[in-house]
Amino acid sequence: MRPPAEAISALALVVGAIALLIFIGVEGALIYAVLRYRSSRLPAGRPARFERNTRLEIAWTALPAIVLAVVFVLMLGTMAEIGGGGVEPGLRVRVAGHQWWWEFSYGPVTTANEMHIPIGTAVDLDLTSADVIHSFWVPELGGKSDMLPGTTNHLRLFARRAGIYEGQCSEFCGVEHAWMRIRVVAESQADFDRWLAAQGRPAATRGGDGERIFLANICVNCHTIRGTAAAGAAGPDLTHVGARATLGAGVLPSDVARMRAWIADPQQYKPGALMPRVPLSDPELDALAAYLVSLK
Amino acid sequence: MTAIPLWVRRPAGERVGWLRTVDHKEIGVLYIGMGVAFFAVGGLEALLLRAQLATPESRLVDPLTYDQAFTVHGVTMILLAIVPLLVGFANYLVPLMIGAPDVAYPRLNALSFWLSLVGGIILYFSFLAGGAPDTGWFSYAPLAERSFAPGPGVDYYILGLAVNGAGTIIGAINLTVTILLMRCPGMAISRVPLFVWMTLVTTILILGAYPALTAALVMLFVDRQLGGHFFDPAGGGQAVLWQHLFWFFGHPEVYIMVLPAMGMISEIIPVFSGKPIFGYRFVAGSSVAIAFLSFGVWAHHMFAVGLGEMENAIFSATSMLIAVPTGVKIFNWIATMVGGRIRLTTPMLFAIGFIAMFVIGGLSGVSLAVVPIDLAVTDSYYVVAHLHYVLFGGTMLGVFAGGYYWFPKMTGRLLDEGLGKLHFWATFAGFNLTFLPQHWLGAVGMPRRVFTYAASTGWGPLNLVSTIGAAILAVAMVIFAVNLVRSLRSGEVAGDDPWDAFTLEWATSSPPPPENFPVTPAVSGRRPLWDRKHPELRDPS
Repeated sequence: MRPPAEAISALALVVGAIALLIFIGVEGALIYAVLRYRSSRLPAGRPARFERNTRLEIAWTALPAIVLAVVFVLMLGTMAEIGGGGVEPGLRVRVAGHQWWWEFSYGPVTTANEMHIPIGTAVDLDLTSADVIHSFWVPELGGKSDMLPGTTNHLRLFARRAGIYEGQCSEFCGVEHAWMRIRVVAESQADFDRWLAAQGRPAATRGGDGERIFLANICVNCHTIRGTAAAGAAGPDLTHVGARATLGAGVLPSDVARMRAWIADPQQYKPGALMPRVPLSDPELDALAAYLVSLK
Repeated sequence: MTAIPLWVRRPAGERVGWLRTVDHKEIGVLYIGMGVAFFAVGGLEALLLRAQLATPESRLVDPLTYDQAFTVHGVTMILLAIVPLLVGFANYLVPLMIGAPDVAYPRLNALSFWLSLVGGIILYFSFLAGGAPDTGWFSYAPLAERSFAPGPGVDYYILGLAVNGAGTIIGAINLTVTILLMRCPGMAISRVPLFVWMTLVTTILILGAYPALTAALVMLFVDRQLGGHFFDPAGGGQAVLWQHLFWFFGHPEVYIMVLPAMGMISEIIPVFSGKPIFGYRFVAGSSVAIAFLSFGVWAHHMFAVGLGEMENAIFSATSMLIAVPTGVKIFNWIATMVGGRIRLTTPMLFAIGFIAMFVIGGLSGVSLAVVPIDLAVTDSYYVVAHLHYVLFGGTMLGVFAGGYYWFPKMTGRLLDEGLGKLHFWATFAGFNLTFLPQHWLGAVGMPRRVFTYAASTGWGPLNLVSTIGAAILAVAMVIFAVNLVRSLRSGEVAGDDPWDAFTLEWATSSPPPPENFPVTPAVSGRRPLWDRKHPELRDPS
């Protein structure tokens, strides 16, 4: 099967070529008329009485209608194709949009902001929203679909080659709409299976300072770390947050220093984000950041 | 310097004043003044947006201010600038063009203007009253519900738009009745100038479309203030319902903003080609076709919502169909020029610019009607580019064409041609530099309404180009402002008929007397003034 993004590109190329021809024809005629009939270039005299011609009117009504009919038929083919064309997906992922992050569920395994998919396989997303309308768009992998609260929409993705594909929310969803980025890691089936297995495991609990600080503060009201008592559902699942490349849905690359800075003041990096400043001492911040980044 | 009265040629010593006037010409000028003022404000908001986007991850403007700016920019340009400008020209010109002394209901006319203006003031009052709306001009639910937009901004949006819309609806009733009942003897509906034709179609569109917006606003108000759940899925409501109601208004609104400008250039192109319009009946009839179709295309704004493939395909077909009557107009305008003697005055340059730019907006519009392409680029900068090619490249260039063309009728003085041509070329260059690159930005993934973008996206250079274009556009508008002020004071005296034009507004003085025509004119063709000037060459009646 042809990836949806390729099918859309192919159609856009055909429509674009037709549009370019029309553009050249119409703008050419306009420029010709202006240059040819400028009064300064014409000998004195009265303009021609060229005021109506029913045949011409019929021609320039019918011709565009025929071109549009062709485009419409081509479109129907592409619509069927990107809709899946009856091919069952190799993987289904449930995606929920939140103000301003993404929740990805692979069956019981939940992660956030960074999704992995196997290459060479049709992946169907079941899209919904926890609050306002969002829209899922990774241009190189497929079209976009809005995500509405109370409704489930479907979108097919397909990656031919391994790599990182970036996208972001495309329906204005509030103050941090710009920092609701999607990172898709497309990898071989074997790598994907390994990743999914790792994501499915609970966090390695060592009872260290960082973990204790996390569990003793308001962090647990919103975040889950499987394997600990933290089971909040309002924010991203942090069980394997250290395995993700970015923080705050793309606003910062992830490492210990930035994790510390982010926890110390999320509003500095993502003003308006729903994560509050947590009053922690410097040593507490160090321990907490180190702990979270260690959750691979 | 000759003393020339402005806007209306009143008997010496008679003063009415802007607040009391019920003269359609002065109310037209009030509307145009409102449009110009809000166009300037909306333009400054746009410059703020472009300044913020010039470089990636910029911190020039904070996200909340940015969101307020693009929300208010959209509402301002559409409802407080373009619509008042077009309604203003219609107010000034329609009675003159049909040989009437005024509109049907002069007092109601004043009411519609003042309601429209007060609506705008209410919207802007939000800045002082706790924050402007920040949910986008189409203000989708549930983002606009109180749970996600607790501030008063959306309430001011609701109230401002409802009041402004009431003014527009009343004005539309007035103009419809005027055109249907107040034409002078001989002015059959098949003889009225095309600007009047397209105004009539527009006012009927307003009567069909605006009430849907008003209803939606009332429902949103009920949700926000009275605990309703029309658009709140958590309470059993439907978020998509708002979109249906809004776009049932929103898409005809596009034609409400485009048709009168098309009417303007349908007056200007024939005059400066020295020929009657080509295919009058087809240009007029295609407007009616556009009006009909425009009520059946709204869901093309919602292809990504998940309405279903069948629904999407049907709305795609109706949306594509609109290209046919639109194309008919473009071909007829070009055919009008063919065989003519074209005078490249400033109004003609802007009219030609309208056609050239509208073709681009029309073609990108057809591409957006193709569902899979729409699914790729909807809600991206491609749409931003498209809509500006239609509304700026189209409507605003048409309004500038009309401005240069009718300014001498309203003021008795011509705008300066040298500055006018400079204004045109600077606008043309700045406009294309601003919006052409945005097609590409959208196609590669830049969503609209983002206050910034990651440096890693590589969108920086084209955004910078776009911002430079916006700066050039700003310079072009300054040139226009200079031209306006200078010409008002000391422009060349125009006389009654400076362009050797065809229609009745040029048969009276510049500016016209309060009663428009000392003697009610009688006409026998589509070009009454031409017939009067060239009895031997009069149009067949």
